[in-house]
Amino acid sequence: MQEINFRNDILPLKDKLFRLALRITMNRAEAEDVVQDTMLRVWSQRDEWPALDSVEAYCLAVCRNLAIDRSRLQANRNEELDESTAERPDAADPHTLCVRNEQLELLDRLIGTLPEKQRTVLQLRDVEGKTYKEIAAVLQVSEEQVKVNLFRARRKIKEQYTEINDYGL
Amino acid sequence: MDYKYIEQLLERYWACETSLDEEAILRAFFRQKDVPAHLLPYKSLFAYADAARADGLGRDFDERILAQVERPTVKARRIPARRRMMPLFKAAAVVTVIVSLGAVGQHMFDRPRPDYDYDAYRDTYTDPQSAYGSVSEALQIVSESFRKSQTHENDSLSAVPAQKTTCKE
Repeated sequence: MQEINFRNDILPLKDKLFRLALRITMNRAEAEDVVQDTMLRVWSQRDEWPALDSVEAYCLAVCRNLAIDRSRLQANRNEELDESTAERPDAADPHTLCVRNEQLELLDRLIGTLPEKQRTVLQLRDVEGKTYKEIAAVLQVSEEQVKVNLFRARRKIKEQYTEINDYGL
Repeated sequence: MDYKYIEQLLERYWACETSLDEEAILRAFFRQKDVPAHLLPYKSLFAYADAARADGLGRDFDERILAQVERPTVKARRIPARRRMMPLFKAAAVVTVIVSLGAVGQHMFDRPRPDYDYDAYRDTYTDPQSAYGSVSEALQIVSESFRKSQTHENDSLSAVPAQKTTCKE
């Protein structure tokens, strides 16, 4: 088996890991922390690398678990309702809204409303282009389960997206 | 242009029956500028994946993670090297101590001792009378010296040298 090198094999996964973590935590700073924790954890278990089928799937699985833990912690820190919360606008400031594509922003929000499993499957399939087998390895579920989750995610996004586009928000 | 194939692919896409290659075809199709009006709503859905894939972490992240990951390796290499030398230093110190102790001991025990070989002695006098005279003369000189030193020390003991003289005579 080919020897695995951190700089050449693990580090280039950072963007994929970041996007997955971002999809789960929905917070850039948190996602970056998750990627860092993931890499350090994978590094600390480097003795086990030769036994792995796929380092990428392993990294993604670790990343997903850490991201889920973190978003749970985040969810526990409930936001207090005070004046600043009431005054805050729903969307980002008008300038960024203009700069970014409104449609993509909308899709981002729609995907954000999906359950974590569906979000992760959608991310790994449509954004990262992974096979069902690879996704199943990351989530540690059957391929059928992956398909079911993906089906539900795509259907929901399609429905909500067309609904909004047809009738407006 | 015939969009039947694309529509068919889309149907299968929603049903999660498309392969990764077919999904790539769909994505490529929606990436082009002139998409027919009835398919236009889905353009953003596929453009979204492209846009999401462009997201990632910067170079500063690499530096940060490598600083954490590669520093311990350098350490791990350096410290064993020093530790590996440690027993040698210890052994050298022990050897030095033993050798110097040995040298000192040898120096102490191997000092040339006075020779008491009585057989090697030769008579210097042929006449016993003259030998006796020389010996008593020598002893007289010794006793004279004793007496002198003792009278210097203590006058009350002045009788002792007198006694000694009588003893000798």
